Amino acid sequence: MLQLLVDSVKDYAIIMLDTEGRVLTWNPTAQRLKGWKADEIIGQNFSRFYPAEDIEKGKTQMELKVAEREGRFEDEGWRVRKDGSRFWANVSITALRDKDGTLRGFGKVTRDLTERRQNEEKLKRQAQEILEMATVPVVPVWEGVILVPLIGTLNSERTQHLMERLLQRITETNSPVAVLDITGVPTIDTQTAQHLIETIAAVRLLGAEVVLTGVRPTIAQTLVHLGIDLSNVITRSSLSAGLRMALGLIDMSVVPKVAAGHAQAPCRTISPS
Amino acid sequence: MQNNISVIKVRDILLVTMPPDADDPTISALQEQVLGAMERYQAQNVLLDISGVETLDSFFARTVSETAQMVTLMGGRTIIAGMRPAVAVTATQIGLTLGNLETALNVDRALDMAATPRRRKPR
Repeated sequence: MLQLLVDSVKDYAIIMLDTEGRVLTWNPTAQRLKGWKADEIIGQNFSRFYPAEDIEKGKTQMELKVAEREGRFEDEGWRVRKDGSRFWANVSITALRDKDGTLRGFGKVTRDLTERRQNEEKLKRQAQEILEMATVPVVPVWEGVILVPLIGTLNSERTQHLMERLLQRITETNSPVAVLDITGVPTIDTQTAQHLIETIAAVRLLGAEVVLTGVRPTIAQTLVHLGIDLSNVITRSSLSAGLRMALGLIDMSVVPKVAAGHAQAPCRTISPS
Repeated sequence: MQNNISVIKVRDILLVTMPPDADDPTISALQEQVLGAMERYQAQNVLLDISGVETLDSFFARTVSETAQMVTLMGGRTIIAGMRPAVAVTATQIGLTLGNLETALNVDRALDMAATPRRRKPR
């Protein structure tokens, strides 16, 4: 009955090793998972399942020693199939002792977790991407103008990220003007202001210009009290004023449709000045 | 003199392209070549394309900014085009600025800039 269980179990490769780590028994799942047939692998050392770098580090010997000392050893890591391909496995090695306590060998249970690991990595990557998008959203608002609405506190890490992403997007979109909106930034300290000044300097080196918008009264007061010199930076209080400025920098202006020669509607249009 | 800096005169513009791996002698030669070409061709604008340059050191930055000053003294105007994002980040981190130099995203935009009279950046 027990043998039937070992042979029928689908998800677990259940094998036995002797005290030296040589394979004694093999089950169908082990064959499916690792590729060897029973007669190919029985008698061989179980280090065949490990990547070369693990064998060099003596990982296989260490695992047996831990299992012998503590009764069992559990690990998650890369293992190697017969064809050389790798899979992510959960491995547990249990020391098997007889009634006198003499070590007779080891039981080794291996489970293929490659799929789970891939899913985990995918989720992690997606979360990271969302986080990056959310921390520094870069929105093209007009040909040649990109908008970066910043919300929340700016720490050094985030500002560093902002700088890299902003410069990247400016070159990618070939935009000579970037509007940096800090309406959603609660406070500004000396360090943050310094970071912003550096970012603006870097943008200018690329050949683009930054318009800093959303400078509210409290922010303006703080900046002056801290003695931060932003006189070289184009600043505007509202985003709309900033956009008008940005369009001006690329020689565009917003004019009423009537003035532009269309008499039908009171809406506004954008045309080259 | 044998080096990789290309200086091409297009109308009244000198298009200067920096090689990706410029060493110090090459950078020193840049100044000579640009100023010499300005005098020879009576060019008004110097357009320095650094889109190939992957690293920027203080010597290069200083040479460029000095050369620009000299060009101004000779009645010309310098536009730096195509600086890579990574180079700009490094440059600001080590505190380099190119002073009042004009910069452009790429050569195309720099040519547009050169065609319009220099204007003070609005504040």
